[in-house]
Amino acid sequence: MAALAAPIRLSVPGTLRYRALAVRLVAEAARLVSGSSRKDPNDNLANDVRDPFDTAVVSAFAEIFNNVAIHAYKRHGGGLIEVAITPTDRELIIELTDDGAPFDIDEVAPLPSDLDDTTLPEGGMGIHIAKTMLDEMTYEPGPPNLWRLRKVLTAAVSNGRS
Amino acid sequence: MASPFDVQRRDTETTLVVRGSLDINTAPPLAEEIDKIVAGRPKKVVVDLAGLDLIDSSGVAALVKLYKGVRSGGGTIAMTGVRDQPLAIFKLLRMDKVFNL
Repeated sequence: MAALAAPIRLSVPGTLRYRALAVRLVAEAARLVSGSSRKDPNDNLANDVRDPFDTAVVSAFAEIFNNVAIHAYKRHGGGLIEVAITPTDRELIIELTDDGAPFDIDEVAPLPSDLDDTTLPEGGMGIHIAKTMLDEMTYEPGPPNLWRLRKVLTAAVSNGRS
Repeated sequence: MASPFDVQRRDTETTLVVRGSLDINTAPPLAEEIDKIVAGRPKKVVVDLAGLDLIDSSGVAALVKLYKGVRSGGGTIAMTGVRDQPLAIFKLLRMDKVFNL
């Protein structure tokens, strides 16, 4: 498996203010693997995520960044979120490290099996989204706490590659 | 830069247009608007998501709040134009069937 680049690193204060910046970087890194191109070349916000691989990576990363900013750093920052992205020709691995409070991933409740007006969830969906979008997601509580996200490029998610 | 959302009220129908990214940073101001919409007990609400590029769980929560609020007030709600990443998220959460996407 050939690495496309050395690990790409970003270090940002652990607040939601830096979320869009981090998501944009991850979206671009996903495109390195998927080979997708922007439909709108003038989209500077990197919102133009259409490829299934990019969609999965961006969706999962955004949820985990939210989780760190909210649960580890309690929305007040006070530490860094270190992001290390390793793209290869077949997969993308993202590691997020923080020095905030550990998160109890075992406390995350499953989504209701039957959805209706009373059971539609208004919270607790983030970890479920991230885990389902990825091929592998692990969490090692610390500090430092370490999230490791892995998405494999398969035929089913490689629309952008010829 | 265009506002990420706007509301159009016409007779008994209210249309909420959401654009760009509906996420943990943009959902709170939309939630305030949603409270106003629900308080008005509209008979019909259309949520136009054709311009929505990205959504996260906070954005989904805001739309679920609107859905529940409108229906509990006796109104109907339709979400239209959902595509790409937001559609993938609704499908993952199995809300596509609830919302008739």
